[in-house]
Amino acid sequence: MGWLRLAFFGYIALTIIYFITGIYSRSVRREKLEKAWDTDPAREGATKADRQAFIDGGMKAYDTGMKKRLLWLIYIIPTIAFAATIYFVNWN
Amino acid sequence: MWTKIKWGLRIFLILIVGAFLHYTLPQRDIVHVINTYNKNTPIGANWMFYSIEDTGTGVETTSTIRDIRFIDAVYPDGNSVVVYRNEDTGWFWPPYFKWDSSTLQAEAQNLKSDKANPQWVAVTHYGWRLPFFSIFPNAVSIARVDGPNVTLIPWVNIIILSMLAFGLFMIRRMWMQFRERAVDPVLADAGDAWGSVDATAEAAKKRARGVFGRMGAWFRTWTPKK
Repeated sequence: MGWLRLAFFGYIALTIIYFITGIYSRSVRREKLEKAWDTDPAREGATKADRQAFIDGGMKAYDTGMKKRLLWLIYIIPTIAFAATIYFVNWN
Repeated sequence: MWTKIKWGLRIFLILIVGAFLHYTLPQRDIVHVINTYNKNTPIGANWMFYSIEDTGTGVETTSTIRDIRFIDAVYPDGNSVVVYRNEDTGWFWPPYFKWDSSTLQAEAQNLKSDKANPQWVAVTHYGWRLPFFSIFPNAVSIARVDGPNVTLIPWVNIIILSMLAFGLFMIRRMWMQFRERAVDPVLADAGDAWGSVDATAEAAKKRARGVFGRMGAWFRTWTPKK
């Protein structure tokens, strides 16, 4: 039963980390988009709605992009590390 | 005064974390094994430094006496000795997931050698030997090495410590991002609002910050000044 307990609490912890990192990553991307818009001289005088549309578009691209999928590594790496530890400690 | 207390706390924290890592992370000794045996070992207040109870190492004759495997070894200087315990680690902490104590004991037995013709081995272990508390480092694996002077690169520790450093770095980045995007705008708005009603907005802001504001300012002293 020990492994069930470990898996249960381990994945709960990883899920918390996954969501916090997800929020952080979105926030960084949004800031980048905002700055890209605000520092672009070509967009001088554009409306607030244009800016919002630009940012929404960028966030949509982020949601389907590679970087967001990389967040799954938060689950994958500890699982691999766990399996590797068991293998190297007990069978090598 | 407060600076001294703050520094004292920081150093204390670093020492605790350092000791914890030093206990838990694997280390390798180059030794030759001279004896392997089992011993009924009473476990009392030092239980924290032995495996948790349901790991099934040896025979748990009672709740306080456990039949534990031990490995005696000698360092290359020929005089310093080390005693390892050889226990399974169970499912939680430390996360070695070691269940092969019997195999390890057989391997150690097989690599036993005497002073005249020593077989040098690298014993991976974690933990400390503290005679006062009767605690022993736990051997995790054993491997032949060419001689007493081989250099072993601690890759596992390099990787784990790098990951830890990366984790701390990311926590700091996340906190800074959170502050920049969520906390600072709110404080700035508050400053504006008070500014309109009171010329001494700065003083009002300072008062309004209250306990948590001051706590925050205190925490921020850890971050570098911009």
